[in-house]
Amino acid sequence: MVKMILIAIVAPLLAFAIGLSFMMIKRKFVARIQRRYGPTIIQPIFDIMKLLLKEDNISHGIIFSLGPIIAIAGSILSVFFIPIAGLNMLTGSGDLIALLYIMAIGSLGMALGAGDSANPNASIGISRALTLMFGYDLPLVIIVISVALQYHTTDLSAIVAAQANGHWALWSLPLSAIVGFVVTYGALGEHPFDIITAPHEVATGPMVEYGGKHLGFLMINHAFHLYVEIALFVDLFLGGASNIFIFYIKMFAVFFIMMMFDEVLPRFKIDDAVRFFWKWPTVVALISLIIVLVK
Amino acid sequence: MNILLEIMLATPFIGGLLAFIGGKVHRWVRFAVAVTFSFLTLIEAFVYYNVTIKGVVWGSLFGSKLILQTNPISWLFLFIVTAMSFLIVIFSIGDMEEDRIKLDSYYMQLLFVEGAMIGIVLAGDLITFFMFWEIMSWTSYFLIIYGGKKSVAAGYKYIIMSIIGAYSMFIAIAMLYVKAHSLVYADVATTLAHSSATFVVWTVVLLGIGFFVKAAIMPLHTWLPDAHSEAPSPVSPLLSGVLIKMGAYGLFIVLYGFLSVQLAGNIMPSVFSTPILLYIIQWLAALSIVLATFLAIMQEDAKRLLAYSSISQIGYVVLGIATGTSLGVAGGLFHALNHAIFKGLLFLAVGAVIYRTGTRNLSDLGGLVKKMPYTFTALLLGIIALAGVPPLNGFVSKWMIYEALLQKKEVFLLIMAFIGSTGAFLYVYRLIHSIFLGQLPKKYENVKDVPILMQVPIWVLAVSTIIFGIFPGLAMNVIVKGMKLFGFKPIAYTLFGFPQGTAMGALKVINISAVLAIAFVAAWVLFLILSKSRKVSQYDNYAAGQVVTPELKYNYSFGFYMSFGRVIKSILKLGIERIYNYWVDAAKIFGDYYMRRVYTGNLETYNSYIVIVVTIAAAAILLGGKLW
Repeated sequence: MVKMILIAIVAPLLAFAIGLSFMMIKRKFVARIQRRYGPTIIQPIFDIMKLLLKEDNISHGIIFSLGPIIAIAGSILSVFFIPIAGLNMLTGSGDLIALLYIMAIGSLGMALGAGDSANPNASIGISRALTLMFGYDLPLVIIVISVALQYHTTDLSAIVAAQANGHWALWSLPLSAIVGFVVTYGALGEHPFDIITAPHEVATGPMVEYGGKHLGFLMINHAFHLYVEIALFVDLFLGGASNIFIFYIKMFAVFFIMMMFDEVLPRFKIDDAVRFFWKWPTVVALISLIIVLVK
Repeated sequence: MNILLEIMLATPFIGGLLAFIGGKVHRWVRFAVAVTFSFLTLIEAFVYYNVTIKGVVWGSLFGSKLILQTNPISWLFLFIVTAMSFLIVIFSIGDMEEDRIKLDSYYMQLLFVEGAMIGIVLAGDLITFFMFWEIMSWTSYFLIIYGGKKSVAAGYKYIIMSIIGAYSMFIAIAMLYVKAHSLVYADVATTLAHSSATFVVWTVVLLGIGFFVKAAIMPLHTWLPDAHSEAPSPVSPLLSGVLIKMGAYGLFIVLYGFLSVQLAGNIMPSVFSTPILLYIIQWLAALSIVLATFLAIMQEDAKRLLAYSSISQIGYVVLGIATGTSLGVAGGLFHALNHAIFKGLLFLAVGAVIYRTGTRNLSDLGGLVKKMPYTFTALLLGIIALAGVPPLNGFVSKWMIYEALLQKKEVFLLIMAFIGSTGAFLYVYRLIHSIFLGQLPKKYENVKDVPILMQVPIWVLAVSTIIFGIFPGLAMNVIVKGMKLFGFKPIAYTLFGFPQGTAMGALKVINISAVLAIAFVAAWVLFLILSKSRKVSQYDNYAAGQVVTPELKYNYSFGFYMSFGRVIKSILKLGIERIYNYWVDAAKIFGDYYMRRVYTGNLETYNSYIVIVVTIAAAAILLGGKLW
């Protein structure tokens, strides 16, 4: 019981810490690519603290305030369904398919809150976010099916266990892994898929009216989001890890490759992003799926 | 106890007549009668919870016995019918305005539809089934045309397609009668077991057309978007939540009551270990899911959006039922119940909005969350359930269908099912955003939440989405027990979900909801500790330096998914309706240009026809009955 409570407290904090560390590294990394010195490495912590401790917060209504709270609650819930370093936590209560929908709870909260801010920029941002989600969901479900068929289970902890000793899905399902990377990348909304926030077009989209502690919550949620998406990829294709350090190294490797793409690409048009996902990632994922089916 | 079956069947019909007569006395008499009798039916239905009764003979026709029966599967649908009807009667009292039209016959039709649907699910032979099927079609037609001018055309389309379906069913029933001389379900099953594959396929296809018209499976869905959106607000949930489930029920009876997976597998080739007939049905259902989802995303009318969503969701029901595995069929049946709950809820909530604002055009609405918070919360639960997000009920049944397809390795169908669910996020968000979020137009500043009589049914359904989501075992109790009677292997389940081994993974919804609740409370507490926020008006808003005033329409609502529309442009252009309209035009041309030459409308021409026919007939008689 004590162990359970301990895990329940430590797991989200750890996830937050990992996500936050990625945010920190990214600020510095991007600055160096752009030949700037960049802020101090712990700048995101300062940002979050400053926002949370602001004295003047504005709210457009109850749903506006609930949005970030639901978003964080959904993200914390997802953390418990992703096995990390031998800990299975709640994977027995919901499998991979359930996780796909559990991950949507947070986005739903975000969408509701943004909608209640009564600003068309926010609405356009959500419309774009959902459209983009529809785009990357098609290849995502195909690779999820491929992985489930490859290991004859949808239980994430079993999938991780089957990849022990270096039998990673990356080697057995290379095509799915590549698509999985692209999809994870799209889900994180980095360039060229940053159409949701697109500051020059819709003034940061869903976040346009958020400030103060609300925005602080959304930044915390972003840290969780980074963790959840990348950890899921590591569990599905890089075989999870037996301890937290190896897990962190694997996650960081994935994130590092993502950062390299991030700063050199322009932005897609919304419909072109969907078309992109429904074209090459889908075709490649289908080829991989057929290989699994035939095998 | 068995006599009660007949009483239960008679209750709504008697109630309908009494409501009609009572309405002549006073409208409150009518309300009282309608509520009492629909409640009585609901109570009587509970007597049969998990009870199996075989063969109560209540008459005979053409030498075939007319039989009533019940089993847990029938009870599931009986529960949907009686519970939804009761709630809809209550909602109608608040919603239907007296001065607009006389409502005596409205309540009569409402109870008659309920009675007819009870007859369908209790039928033990095809004559009873067909009789009540026809009563249901006609009475629901009269309900649809209560919605005003446009609804007459929609109702016309509905009844014509229903008649086509009914004829097709009738031919199948006649074929069976000629072959079996009895239309009792058990006899039909034995006859089919000893028939050729061609006969079986024809019977199932002809019956299936009837069911598919009712269940609005593509390509026979074209009546649904018009009828469900033009019908009065309380009738739409009855149509979408309950009536289309009769098609699914009929399909279940034909596929597993008359046939069985083994039998079907013996007489026809199999694909993915599914008999090809079932496989085709699965594909039709999956196409319905995807195409209807795309269409729902592009709608600008709240009820039309929900109507297309119904086509898509009934696709899941049929897809589940057609999988032929225990898990899939159980998922399909459970989704029938869940869809009745959340779609009934959504239609009623939208009905409440229409009641207060008088419009269902999404781009005219907005910001109502501040004026109608209770309706908003209920609708929110409804869309979460529809989108299949845990911990509400739509998630569990969809999860079962996904797992069943995954177990059978029917990956392409599974991909389509997933896509339909993701697409559902798009259109449900559009629904709640355009009605309740965004800027509140000035004309709706004095809107209030709907009266308590309309709140109650909405909230009963809203709470049900939570109950059946967290405790799927409640429904599984009935479904698994009933499916055993149809020869399915029972699946393992618990009150809170499914243990390891039933599907490819485990599910325990209570844990998901408990952790979500704790995480929510933790985040909320942190939120409350931090300094309080100040409420600002909707006009105090970022507008790139502009000042937002009530006159400025500062809202993004029309063409919400315009950019997505560009992606699926080529799909949207496909129109089944155009093919049908082509045939309608062809029939018109045939009538106008060719038949008009014969039927001129001229008395002399008709007289000359009579003379010609009489002459020929006389000649025939004179020639001793021989013309050639």
